[in-house]
Amino acid sequence: MITNRPSIFIYTYNPDADILKEICAGIEEEGVLFDVIEKPEMDTRDLAYEAANESVLGSGIGLSYGMAAMQMRNVNRDKPVFLLDRPDKEMSRKLGTNSARAIKRKAFQI
Amino acid sequence: MKLIAGVDIGNSTTEVCIGQVNDAGNLGFLSSVSRFTTGTKGTLDNVAGIRVALEEAMEKLHMPISKLDLIRINEAAPVIGDTAMETITETIITDSSMIGHNPSTPAGAGQAVGKLIELEHLSQAKTGVPYIVAAKKSWNYEEIAKSINEGMKTFDIVGIILQADEAVLVENRLEKKIPIVDEVRNIDYVPEGKRAAIEVALPGENIRMLSNPYGIATLLELDAADTKAVTPIAKSLIGKRSAVVIRTPHGNVRENVLPAGTIFISGKEPLHRDLPAETVEVNIDAGAEAIMKKLESAGEIEDISGQPSTNVGHMLSGIKRDMGNISSESSEDIRITDILAVDTLAPVPVSGALAGETCLEKAVSIAAMVKTKQLPMEKIAYELNRQLSVPVKVAGVEAVMATLGALTTPGTTLPLAILDLGGGSTDAALIDERGQVAATHKAGAGELVSMLIQTELGLHSRTTAEEIKKYPLARVESLFHMRLESGAMHFFQDAIDPRYFGSVVLLEPHDMIKIEEDLSMEKIVQVRREAKKKVFVTNALRALREVAPENDLRKIPNIVLVGGSAWDFEIPEMLMEEFSNYRIVCGRGNIRRTEGPRNAVATGLVMSYLGEKN
Repeated sequence: MITNRPSIFIYTYNPDADILKEICAGIEEEGVLFDVIEKPEMDTRDLAYEAANESVLGSGIGLSYGMAAMQMRNVNRDKPVFLLDRPDKEMSRKLGTNSARAIKRKAFQI
Repeated sequence: MKLIAGVDIGNSTTEVCIGQVNDAGNLGFLSSVSRFTTGTKGTLDNVAGIRVALEEAMEKLHMPISKLDLIRINEAAPVIGDTAMETITETIITDSSMIGHNPSTPAGAGQAVGKLIELEHLSQAKTGVPYIVAAKKSWNYEEIAKSINEGMKTFDIVGIILQADEAVLVENRLEKKIPIVDEVRNIDYVPEGKRAAIEVALPGENIRMLSNPYGIATLLELDAADTKAVTPIAKSLIGKRSAVVIRTPHGNVRENVLPAGTIFISGKEPLHRDLPAETVEVNIDAGAEAIMKKLESAGEIEDISGQPSTNVGHMLSGIKRDMGNISSESSEDIRITDILAVDTLAPVPVSGALAGETCLEKAVSIAAMVKTKQLPMEKIAYELNRQLSVPVKVAGVEAVMATLGALTTPGTTLPLAILDLGGGSTDAALIDERGQVAATHKAGAGELVSMLIQTELGLHSRTTAEEIKKYPLARVESLFHMRLESGAMHFFQDAIDPRYFGSVVLLEPHDMIKIEEDLSMEKIVQVRREAKKKVFVTNALRALREVAPENDLRKIPNIVLVGGSAWDFEIPEMLMEEFSNYRIVCGRGNIRRTEGPRNAVATGLVMSYLGEKN
């Protein structure tokens, strides 16, 4: 793992492949870098919280099975910015887009 | 002891003041209330609003309306500020198609010209012809990239138009880089087989070729006449990050111009006593400044009309017709006695625009003051009396009552001028040491400001424009802080709702209102301040000059600002700044030390009761 690359961290545990792919596409379209990192079993909120606080950019995503969360640095561990249960393709793409927009300080797609 | 109610019916609000006169003849104020006016000012529809306001004011005193001894309503000057302001501009319609927008993430850079082809039909393309491929949302980025990479081996593909927001995703998978425009919602309207030019700007820059008429002419090989016709397209593409211009076959380009028209101003008195009263005329194209100068030169005005079958002609006759319907007078009896013209920029839709693009055209907004023979105040008084069984009297001219009320502001002295900054009109009155009052009403006030904000920012709803007028702005920069328009920072204890993140918001006292349109805070602030200045500073000077002794502003020692727009968070400061040049004391009124700039007329109506009794 390259630790000091300015990228969005995506921490995963047994992730749903389709959701992960769309999240990555969302970030890529915004032109931001990302790293997908496998983690031991953890609550989705905790995955997202740690991803956000360990990312140089302060933006992270947690994905465990079909549960996805987007988190920003310093936001309460229990209150991720977005928390989605089994998001569809479009929602997953938007979650990725928004994690990139959080860095650009651009309004979220909701 | 007697209970007297003063009722002031304004264009936007109805205000009530309840006063008590004891047996010794001393006056005390008990309560006041402000409610929205129901219906157009001066019509029977107002009665409902008056009742509600009276009930509420008496409720505060725990008394029924029947305890009132007298209701005094203002003899509203027979002048109504009409809100039917229209933007007047030349309308140019062309039939060239174009797409110009700011997708958040286009890809590639540069420009290209080619024949439009749908991705499905790529296999039927001819070799040696440059193509621009259009791909619908039903294709995903991997499929598109694969087909294009495959197609590039045989055909000359120079650009891509995508419906989905996937330009970067596609570009990252292409073997050869070409300009890609994405987020084209109405891709179905892209005409296959037509020649098109595509351009994507370099990062941090705006497009250069397609925002320049000669650039379009170069790329699409246009002659001089066609180049003239695409000028609105080029103009509407200025400042865009990506664009597509599609050439429609010769003969499809049509131009239709509805002229803005000429205004005719008929003076009341001849400019010279040997001459008949004159009519001056001025063309809208001359701009607001020229129109206002002509208006001033005409002296007191009898009537204003517009050239038939032009924009301004339709507008002015429409106002007279509407007012005729309300007051049930024939439109010959209705005259326009004042207008305020303001320069503005209006977004004019460009036909052939595939994403609803507009082109900013110079325009003139006009507010008109309409004079009918008589407002049916007596009818309102009769109806109120019938419903409430309390004596009702139509008492005193509005401007006189407003000055009386304004005198209760601490620190004022005679001669005193008031500026009533209302919704429809800006009124001024001057009361001198002998109690003589001069008054005037000028077209244009708060509602014109809202209209200017709405047109210049291209807002969909008038409500948003009203809110922009009323509340300061901020930009939410993180979940924990925002930057106020003054430059100051404001922090939140807890993370705020993510839907505000990155947005421009209005700071309503108890809430934040998100601006849905994609506008920068700086742009909104600039338009808002300009609109207020163009309307209120212009009108304040115009109105006060008319009532000032010898038309000299310096002869007015103090001005009290009253009326709804005097509450505004920046208009009073703008006026103070302007009047400090003339060494005039000017400030927001504080009626009865408690009411702020509201309730001046209603208070004056109660006060004038004492004067009448003695």
